[in-house]
Amino acid sequence: MANLLWLQGGACSGNTMSFLNAEEPSACDLVTDFGINVLWHPSLGVELGDNLQKILRDCVSGAITLDIFVFEGTVVNAPDGTGEWNRFAGRPMKQWVRELSDAASFVVAIGDCATWGGIPATAPNPSDSEGLQFLKREYGGFLGQGFKAKSGLPVINVPGCPAHPDWITQIVVAVATGRAGDIGLDEFQRPKTFFQSFTQTGCTRNMHFAYKVSATEFGQRKGCLYYDLGCRGPMTHSPCNRILWNRQSSKTRAGMPCLGCTEPEFPFFDLAPGTVFKTQTVMGFPKDMPEGVDKKGYIAMTAAAKNAAPAWAEQDIFVV
Amino acid sequence: MAVQTLDISPVGRVEGDLDVRVDIEDGVVTNAWTQAELFRGFEIILRDKDPQAGLVVTPRACGICGASHLTCAAWALDTAWSAEVPRNAILARNLGQITESLQSQPRYFYGLYAIDLTNKKYRGSSFYEEACKRFAPFTGTSYEKGVTISGKPVEIYAMLGGQWPHSSYMVPGGVMCAPTLTDVTRAWGILEYFKSEWLESMWLGCTLERYEQIKSYNDFMAWLDESPAHANSDLGFYWRMGLDVGIDKYGGGVGRYVSWGYLPHEDKYQKPTIDNRNASLIMKSGIYDGATDTHLTMSQERARENVTHAWYDEAVTDQHPFDRTTKAVHNNKTSFDEKYSWATAVKDIDYGRLEAGPFARQMVAGGHQGEEWQHYDPLILDMYKSMGGPSLHLRQIARMHETIKLYRQAEHCLREFKLNDSWYVKPTEKDGRGWGATEAIRGALCHWIEVEGGKIKNYQIVAPTTWNVGPRDADGNLGPIESALVGSPIADPTDPVEVGHVARSFDSCLVCTVHAHDAKTGKELSRFRIG
Repeated sequence: MANLLWLQGGACSGNTMSFLNAEEPSACDLVTDFGINVLWHPSLGVELGDNLQKILRDCVSGAITLDIFVFEGTVVNAPDGTGEWNRFAGRPMKQWVRELSDAASFVVAIGDCATWGGIPATAPNPSDSEGLQFLKREYGGFLGQGFKAKSGLPVINVPGCPAHPDWITQIVVAVATGRAGDIGLDEFQRPKTFFQSFTQTGCTRNMHFAYKVSATEFGQRKGCLYYDLGCRGPMTHSPCNRILWNRQSSKTRAGMPCLGCTEPEFPFFDLAPGTVFKTQTVMGFPKDMPEGVDKKGYIAMTAAAKNAAPAWAEQDIFVV
Repeated sequence: MAVQTLDISPVGRVEGDLDVRVDIEDGVVTNAWTQAELFRGFEIILRDKDPQAGLVVTPRACGICGASHLTCAAWALDTAWSAEVPRNAILARNLGQITESLQSQPRYFYGLYAIDLTNKKYRGSSFYEEACKRFAPFTGTSYEKGVTISGKPVEIYAMLGGQWPHSSYMVPGGVMCAPTLTDVTRAWGILEYFKSEWLESMWLGCTLERYEQIKSYNDFMAWLDESPAHANSDLGFYWRMGLDVGIDKYGGGVGRYVSWGYLPHEDKYQKPTIDNRNASLIMKSGIYDGATDTHLTMSQERARENVTHAWYDEAVTDQHPFDRTTKAVHNNKTSFDEKYSWATAVKDIDYGRLEAGPFARQMVAGGHQGEEWQHYDPLILDMYKSMGGPSLHLRQIARMHETIKLYRQAEHCLREFKLNDSWYVKPTEKDGRGWGATEAIRGALCHWIEVEGGKIKNYQIVAPTTWNVGPRDADGNLGPIESALVGSPIADPTDPVEVGHVARSFDSCLVCTVHAHDAKTGKELSRFRIG
């Protein structure tokens, strides 16, 4: 049995929608099979009004044990740090977030908005938004550098735009089944079990990456999306090609370049003209190389790949 | 979790916060104000960005209608860049849009709407016990099935776009994907599963073919009486309980309706322009004016926004979205005589405030405007006339009625793909103005874009919730939800579930906080979130 409270700040509800796609366990299974007591959720909650405010206050005071506080969306600070542009239950949402985070055993930030600020924090960041413990790559965020929940863990960041339902449910189940101690976090406080590997890990286009065969345009039946179409799969930490989306596919499998949405910089280059779906190059080389590869290594890899490329690599492979 | 007794009906609705204030006099709502309480400034973020930034940013305006935003963003750029869009790509976009909408049907109906029928207010109804059994959150038989199966249709979306929500697979000139035979066959399998496990077995209690024979109110009543399987299906049960508890008696609204139309025909919109869109749509656009029983075709130049009562520091005269500048006021103090919402008041140049949504689409579908070949469906308009006008109950019936049509359109897409033909024609980027529109499940959505100097000069979005939840306009005319709330009976002012019914029947994309006020004393009776 674990009490869970889920609130939304500067959010689109995409993480909630993603969460509701879950199976094994489904959202209902979490409640009926895993003893997750959903104290309240914007889409699923049953206690509302005065009852909701009482729950919030009881969580803050400790009258209700708040085991897991899930936050989706940015912390909105505008205008002038007051947070009045996002009011909730009669006061700026940021005030609730502060008090509930201090009361919770575990604080989980779901999605890019809650982790790093995401799309709303894109320049010029009109709503003065930030994540719970980061603003983009900068450590601190709304709760501050030293923040630790009562369990001793900092905010558990489950990024992605949106986060995959399994990333969410597995972390909740881990906490609910007493395995929180096994959750190892990386430097951005992401669970390593999901975010150590790359988006490219398991991509169906890996052979084309290896032989440097490019998908030069959309709608092609072959080729790697990294060389021309701006794919960030080799530099992005996510299990998108290990744990498939909607049980079926992934963006790179379907032909869409990875946007790097589990990384703090998303959306990259602040969407400046010329940067969307186009690989950025410097002197003919990709500006962002696969993680850990330097220019010399890249040149060597390219030469070897071109020499080794078999004829089939240039032909359609994902055929009808 | 045990089912909890609800003093206040549940289900917030996502997408920021909406406050509703209602005045109640002698048990009836006499005045209402709707307030959108979250501002993120997507139009401001998009300024000076890459022309294609809208493909990444706007699906993230709404995690529920992301495919619909993406559809608008892509068609807007197509028209601005004079792109050619191959037949397959039109079908692949339509299929994405449709699967998102199919997803929303059981998720919305059970997850957000039908829970209200388990409110203690209805304890006296002979349907109450059965309603709790079916619709109680998490544990209700229909709730659990419906919410879980809602994830299935968007598995098809993931085959096209890699994931739902938040893909950007629709791009000017077509789509990023090139589906293969196995994608198509798996998609058929998923559709069949959705149909056999829920749509026919649980929702209709009959085959799609039998349901499709219903063309009028009388046909529907005959269908209901035809078999216990019909009467006891979730549709039959909801219909009967709705009438029993009287939700067919209020929540009507402004009585004028809008749809941009949607699903461009794969053979008719390969060279898209703003002007040739209307004649290219399978589901036609239109306005329906209930008072004069008039249908006409809708077009983007008829739309206006007014910020007299919205927190924007712009001209208070009606503006076309191309002329908006999106300047937020700094101090968003609530003043019901002045400004009280982040939503603007959207209107038509002649017909003023219009209701958007699935109900509006069906009212529009019942007219003979547009092209001879376009979709025509008289059922909901006939129900509206037979039942004496609009109600929140009929709004639900209209919404769920569309499910069957969406299902058929999904089949059409799968049947029409020509797998060896092209999916993308690379367009030439250029400056210009574009407009893209569709119908998100909850209503009329469109994007205006102006590209200048290779970057976005102006990007404007008018969402269905903007139409429905907007505040008063310059002349003091109430918005559609404000209008629908007026006249609602309130049995228990400390638990005005009726207000929840009305607001939720629009599937507004916001979380509402209701402040119920006694009109005579001004005393605040209760506050709670609805959606």
